[in-house]
Amino acid sequence: MNLCLKNKIRRCRPLLGTYVEVAVEHDDSGQAQAAVNAAFAAVERVHKLMSFYDPESEISRLNCLAAQQDVVVSVETYHVLQRAKELYERTQGIFDITVAAELLERGVLPKPAFFKKQKDYYGRTKDIVLLPDRSVRFLQPLQIDLGGIAKGFAVDQAIEVLKQNGMDNGCVNAGGDMRCFGDEEQPVLVRHLLAPDQFLPLPALKDAALATSANFYEYEEKDPLLCAQIHGQTRKPLLAPLSVSVRAQSCLVADALTKIVFALKKGSAAVLSEFGAAAFIVYPDDKILCYDGKLLRKGKLG
Amino acid sequence: MVIPKQWRGGSLRFVSVPGIVLLVSAPGFAATYLTVEQAQQVIFPGQNFTAVALILSEENQKALETQYGLPVHSVKQKIWRTEQGGFFIIDKVIGKHELITYAVGINPDGSIRQVEVMDYREAYGDAIRQKRWRRQFIGKTAASSLELDADIKNISGATLSCRHVTEGVKRIMSLYELVLKK
Repeated sequence: MNLCLKNKIRRCRPLLGTYVEVAVEHDDSGQAQAAVNAAFAAVERVHKLMSFYDPESEISRLNCLAAQQDVVVSVETYHVLQRAKELYERTQGIFDITVAAELLERGVLPKPAFFKKQKDYYGRTKDIVLLPDRSVRFLQPLQIDLGGIAKGFAVDQAIEVLKQNGMDNGCVNAGGDMRCFGDEEQPVLVRHLLAPDQFLPLPALKDAALATSANFYEYEEKDPLLCAQIHGQTRKPLLAPLSVSVRAQSCLVADALTKIVFALKKGSAAVLSEFGAAAFIVYPDDKILCYDGKLLRKGKLG
Repeated sequence: MVIPKQWRGGSLRFVSVPGIVLLVSAPGFAATYLTVEQAQQVIFPGQNFTAVALILSEENQKALETQYGLPVHSVKQKIWRTEQGGFFIIDKVIGKHELITYAVGINPDGSIRQVEVMDYREAYGDAIRQKRWRRQFIGKTAASSLELDADIKNISGATLSCRHVTEGVKRIMSLYELVLKK
């Protein structure tokens, strides 16, 4: 195998409400293109199934019907709901996909026609019942938004497709939710949201996923009502001006854990180690909190 | 996945190493994904393309620009018809800090076939400061291939919305409905 002949392909498409980038390396350029196409198709499928914004998606169908009847969903949606329930249990409800009701009330998410007021949707993730025949039932009225974990799952799916297609190295980045595989280390930078032309280098990513949630914009200029981070237990917005990056094995878990770190900060250490994850918290004064001090230090704008 | 030893275990703690500048400045982040020919082959593989000279009546031009907000001059020269009757159109959208060139493929039946970003450019403030910074922070394997701005590839952060491109595609589709559709 001649490394010089390797084809690098990098493409980008607008999906999941953001820009999704897929990059691969392989000897055969035709095979590489086909793999990238298949990876985008996998992302498109997740988008179609799990978008809150699309009234035709399975999530919208659940939100509309599952409090009245059993609704059968795809293997993928069922899987993500299982993971969401598991995360809810393991974080004592801090991670809760039913905070959609709060987000709707606040105008962060667009209100569907049937939505009247937040108080009507008091159910929590524990009230989502996953029946063995892949059908779903809500025991209480509630609204689901998979948000970031659907994005993380889409990245995971795309990575699986690239591997199945025999790619040697690959990286998928969905607006900051990313995952890489292969021998190559991928340099990663996190955007500093108080100064968006400044980037903080994180340890290179190798066969791992990384997701970032940040709140600087909200803190700086936006109405706190538009804060998209909600504490699952208290239902209060998490207004702390932070940028939280989590590195984990899967992108779904990495994205979900950013919310936990947002809520618990240092208190999240136990949950992180349970998932074999690492967190990098950046404060507006460039103080950095991380799992281990060897690579990240206190930084200053140059 | 194997987490390197230094990232395993331990408790969270603050670490401070005074005097080390950590942040990388990249006011001109840019990524080029596809040339025109590549984008054509990605969206319509194996097909031939003929450039379309767009001749607009004053009325149509006005409608596109005022009703739909499409700067007609910018796409006028960037329309191709495929041998099977599809269209390939290149457009640019400008956000507060970003300039994006993208291509839209339209199927012969008028449905959107595919949207591909060809080029993404971001601009903030002044020129890149302190080039030597990046050398110390980029992984060793990648350091040799890392060029200024063009190669900073994996950026994480609050999600960038693709709203501008989505709106651009809507305008392209109104151009199609109004002028290109037969």
